[in-house]
Amino acid sequence: MPTALTALEEAYARRGAPRPLASTAPPASTAVPEGPADDRTPVIGYVGADIPVELLTAAGARAIRLTGDPESGSELGDRYLGGGVDPMARSVLTRLLAGSFGDLDRIVVSHDCEASLRLFYALRELRRVEPGTGLPEAYLVDILHLPHRTTARYNRRRIGEFAARLEAWTGRPLDLAGAVAAHNERRRLLAAVADLRRAAPARLTGRQFLAVAGAALPVHEHIALLERLLAEAGQLGEHAGRRVFLSGSDHDTPHVYDAIESEGYVIVGEDHSFGGLSPDRPVGAGGLDALAEHYHHSGPTAHRATVSERAAHAARAVRHCGAELFVAYSRTGDEAPAWDFPAQRAALDIPAVLLERQEYGRADLTGLRKEHPCAV
Amino acid sequence: MRSVKSLATAAEAGRHQREWFADLRRRVAAGEPFALLNADVPHEIFRTMDIPYAVSQWWASLVAAKQRSGHYLELVRQRGYPDYSEQYNSVTLGSAFDPEPEAGPWGGLPKPTIVVGDATGDVTRKVFDIWGHEPGVTFYPLESAAENEVPANWWELMPHRWEQAVGPARLDLLTGELENLVRFLETTTGRRFSESRFREVMALVNEQEEWNRKARDLIARTRPAPLGVVDSIPSVMLPQWHRGTEWARDIAKRFYEEVRDRVDAGQAACPDERARLMWIGRGLWYDMGFYQRFQDEYGAVFVWSMYLAIAADGYIRYGDDPMRALAARFAAFGDQLYTPPWSSEWYVKEARLHGIDGVVHLVSDDPRGSYFTARALEAAGIPVIEIHADNVDARTFDDEVVKRIGQWLENVVLA
Ligand code: SF4
Ligand code: SF4
Repeated sequence: MPTALTALEEAYARRGAPRPLASTAPPASTAVPEGPADDRTPVIGYVGADIPVELLTAAGARAIRLTGDPESGSELGDRYLGGGVDPMARSVLTRLLAGSFGDLDRIVVSHDCEASLRLFYALRELRRVEPGTGLPEAYLVDILHLPHRTTARYNRRRIGEFAARLEAWTGRPLDLAGAVAAHNERRRLLAAVADLRRAAPARLTGRQFLAVAGAALPVHEHIALLERLLAEAGQLGEHAGRRVFLSGSDHDTPHVYDAIESEGYVIVGEDHSFGGLSPDRPVGAGGLDALAEHYHHSGPTAHRATVSERAAHAARAVRHCGAELFVAYSRTGDEAPAWDFPAQRAALDIPAVLLERQEYGRADLTGLRKEHPCAV
Repeated sequence: MRSVKSLATAAEAGRHQREWFADLRRRVAAGEPFALLNADVPHEIFRTMDIPYAVSQWWASLVAAKQRSGHYLELVRQRGYPDYSEQYNSVTLGSAFDPEPEAGPWGGLPKPTIVVGDATGDVTRKVFDIWGHEPGVTFYPLESAAENEVPANWWELMPHRWEQAVGPARLDLLTGELENLVRFLETTTGRRFSESRFREVMALVNEQEEWNRKARDLIARTRPAPLGVVDSIPSVMLPQWHRGTEWARDIAKRFYEEVRDRVDAGQAACPDERARLMWIGRGLWYDMGFYQRFQDEYGAVFVWSMYLAIAADGYIRYGDDPMRALAARFAAFGDQLYTPPWSSEWYVKEARLHGIDGVVHLVSDDPRGSYFTARALEAAGIPVIEIHADNVDARTFDDEVVKRIGQWLENVVLA
């Protein structure tokens, strides 16, 4: 039997790949039949950090976070979204149009950043004016983040609408309590795995942690593998590289992690939504109210938090994971992280480097080498 | 023999702008509060409370016209912030860092006491929040919310049935934020918010935009067009920043009358008009001559740009609850121009209304990509030519682009 780490890495490598049964499933344009008669598990692709995945699980759906691919080109995404949008979103759209995710019954999109929102608008409009593209119906979950009661009430309404929509899609009532319990258990386990990476020396690389957190598995299978990984912790290697905290843009693929770690660093923490952003609090009891509050307060992400929130978070997180070098990464088309950097650097007592205007899937490490010649 | 002389209202708007700014500087120097507002936030609140304000985008365009953008972006850069991102707002932010603010255009932008912006995109909130950390400055953010399903025909619904067009979730949110803003301003400035004054301001705005609507309709149905885009922009845009004043209402009326007089006198941008063109994309402020370049050879006139059209369709909101009507003006303002299906269907409607023969689409890296607008126009049978913003530098279009448009006019539009 392969180790849990190997199994999780394999599941990560398969993320976004079509389901094995794709050939027997109905074509992508077929809607989920309304009503419980159909026992096929609906597959819902989702975009962005602000989707309350608990609700997808509660609806009995298989949830797949949609990811791009820096190596496969993005011509159609470029055309429909325009060259100024974060290339990650352009790649996701291109892959959706190419059918790279297999048969999705629906797509739900969050407003976690401008690129996700523009992607939603493109999906909605393509379905309207070019039905031949066969794109499934897209639904926007508009969770916002200003720290005010007006926003809290708005989010609660949007969460309620989304829950009702899911029930209408599946024809089944939601099992919210069960789903929240499962996702909280996964959060707890991932936090324990993050402790392994934070150990000195680190017991997991950043690349490994990215795979462990992002393995494309139903939540219960994911939980089982995480438990096994923790049980097998004694067999994990030791990674003694210079300890880096990676801040900034989302990384939906391992490319940038590979590039940085291949230079002898080990990424022991990050603040983007595909990795271990924040000590992710459990969702409280209290149903949709608690869920709405949880996602209102999630983050602080580069796209939604203020500069000072991000700087305070960076200082806390760097201390927590014993990082020796702070690397802020800002992709071309995703400029928010570059605005955070000056205050982050001022809040830190370790060296900090900004990699700005980076190409999707690439990290130009010359700046890093210059700043830290001793690191390699 | 272009018969168009520049409009009296354009000159008057320019003169008024200088007088207004000088007066604003005097008032702020005398200790009054000063608000710096983003274009898409409800200025009407500040108008009602008589709190002096300026619009961030207007200031940035003035700075650009004075060739000073580089100076302010350098100040932003010196603080370690990117100088390549969200330039409109960061140019204005740069004036907050200016050690010699009075050396700026027109005596410089006074230091604001409050900055209001909505959380559009990923960076706007950050930029204004940075400003809010300057001593004596408070940043008041507004959300930028989005809707799942919207009826496409917003321009028909907005004047009276805006509840249906925008949807209650966004309206409840922004109405709540605005009620709180009023309380905040009452508390921090000591000024009162008068409901009857507010109704007056809202009525003046609707009147102003109704005059713009009449002007738009008249230009749309008149052949040859009485004026081109270059002549209408200043008469519409500057008064837009003074919404809710009698001056702005009256100049909108006089602009309409100037257009009508031209029509009555048979004056035209290009009497030998053979093709009516629409422009999509940001304006070429540094090369306004571009828009007239195809008249002599091809009789092709740019009769449409978004500025008059959005004044005509984008602002008018009637209703008994003025705060909710004001929220309806701004809760989805940008969607009207940039979010399909609203944007795409509206451009087609406008193209048909104006009898457009061809569309020149400036493709830029603006994330609010206009692919769907161009696509909808083509689907409606209107030829579109794309030109790429990389071909544009701060001086002029290269000859290649002009030649390409010429060939397109000859082979497609006029064929
Ligand atoms: S170069 Fe100096 S500051 Fe940079 S990592 Fe090495 S020791 Fe630290
Ligand atoms: S083409 Fe039009 S603008 Fe040029 S000379 Fe003739 S009428 Fe005048």
